[in-house]
Amino acid sequence: MLRVADVERLVAGIEGAAASEERLGIVVRVGRGSVEETLAQLKVAGFNWLVDLLGTDTGEHVEITYHLRSYEAGQDVFVKTAVPYDGELASVWQICPAALMPERETAELFGLRLSGHPNPKRLLTTDGVEPLLRKDVAVRTPEEFRR
Amino acid sequence: MSDPRYEVYEAGLIGEGMHEPPVLPAGLRRSPSGVDGLRTEHLVVNMGPQHPSTHGVLRMLVEVDGEEVVNAEASIGYLHRGIEKLAEHRRYDALGTLMDRGDYVSGIMGELAAALAVEQLLEVEVPRKAHWLRSLTSELNRIASHLVWYGTFGLDTGAMGQFLYAMRDREAILDILEAISGQRMMFNYVRPGGVVRDLPPGIDAKIRAFVDGFENVYLPEHDALLGGNEIFQSRVKGIGVITREQALAFGLTGPNLRASGVRYDVRANRPYAAYPELEFEVPVGETGDAWDRYLVRMEEMRQAARLIRQLIDGMPEGPHAAKVPKVLRPPAGEVYAAVESSRGETGVHLVSDGSEHPYRFHYRAPSLFALQALEEIVPGHLIADVVMIIGSTDVMMGEIDR
Repeated sequence: MLRVADVERLVAGIEGAAASEERLGIVVRVGRGSVEETLAQLKVAGFNWLVDLLGTDTGEHVEITYHLRSYEAGQDVFVKTAVPYDGELASVWQICPAALMPERETAELFGLRLSGHPNPKRLLTTDGVEPLLRKDVAVRTPEEFRR
Repeated sequence: MSDPRYEVYEAGLIGEGMHEPPVLPAGLRRSPSGVDGLRTEHLVVNMGPQHPSTHGVLRMLVEVDGEEVVNAEASIGYLHRGIEKLAEHRRYDALGTLMDRGDYVSGIMGELAAALAVEQLLEVEVPRKAHWLRSLTSELNRIASHLVWYGTFGLDTGAMGQFLYAMRDREAILDILEAISGQRMMFNYVRPGGVVRDLPPGIDAKIRAFVDGFENVYLPEHDALLGGNEIFQSRVKGIGVITREQALAFGLTGPNLRASGVRYDVRANRPYAAYPELEFEVPVGETGDAWDRYLVRMEEMRQAARLIRQLIDGMPEGPHAAKVPKVLRPPAGEVYAAVESSRGETGVHLVSDGSEHPYRFHYRAPSLFALQALEEIVPGHLIADVVMIIGSTDVMMGEIDR
């Protein structure tokens, strides 16, 4: 069983990376620029399985969570980073191919630009649909929508 | 015929560079290679969203060179209902109703994932009986879901009869689940704190009768009908191979991952509900082709029947739900809970801000990851095999689009 100190050692060389034990599990918070490096280092340490990728609108920025798992260690690590509204989400598909579709989904539903992606098209909605999962986009009834 | 192009065709004189059509229509591309001087054109074939073999509303854009697929792209979103956004306006005990409409043929397991996440936030202790009832309904639902896969997989190969037999058995399970939960598909049976109600009197005899028949007669019959068929075997063996490395890289879970030789099952690796107390095996495949995925799912049905037997025999006494407030207001926090649904790891990532509605609700759909692996796997196969490969991965559009 890995502890926070072990994960901290894994990401020691990365600027601004901080590991902490949260309710969710072990969470590594990194700057936007060092996500790729962090994922690559964790991948070498066995966290080669990207279970999930999601965004959360915190009210100040969009928080992107990379849910990694090591099959050998049987443990999960969450890497989190903050992306400003209408900012750029850098694709990590070359490290984790599993990110291909979740990244497209996250970018379109939070109104982010996707960079470095082989197919940066919309995934679920058509052009012109608002970034649905942002908190400033309200749920409307069909009547309200027509008005 | 005045067009000189036809003349060269007829004379068999067409060669490299003899003519170029001025502008190619959209979707057509010149192949870089030619056969005997004749050029072949790549053609984009649009499969779906109303194609009978795409299991719901999946649209595959398949670029073919003759019969061979050179490129495949999945186009999805036809069933997008915005479940994740809607959940932000629901109360915590209503999240299960949304999960039901995600993976709509294995609803109990989706509900369970949502309930486990809410319970983690609330730190509520669930009674032992509720755990057992959750496992019992999950396993019944797993057989029902795998039977839908089995039936439609046969339809993909052109076999009609076994689909009807599969639906007959599924009906028997849905009748049992209806007696337990009151619903046939959108159960809303598993709630935070436990389950809605106890087993109705006399249902255990019904379940026992079903499992006896299913395990001893019907399942061997199903297996012989499809898996014992030589045409079916030659159709699925060796196609759609997903290696162990590819499976992990694309985030596959469930039977698709296990068919590639990775022994990972949430029920065994991170036990929840009553699974720590139960005995079952986790079947794995060797090569990761469509045939292995078939074998793994058939064995899973056998294991599910074994689990149901244990669950009915050892069903504990006691309350079926913990006492939880009518309106749930979990303390602020972020949790992830996962269950082994019939398609893989169905996870719920829940963020609470202390109010009665979730701040963020994320549904990890196992089929989404299986689908993006398909884009990698399908090229190189014949177009007729594409349908078989999609069928063998058992993707469910309800949970992909959410």
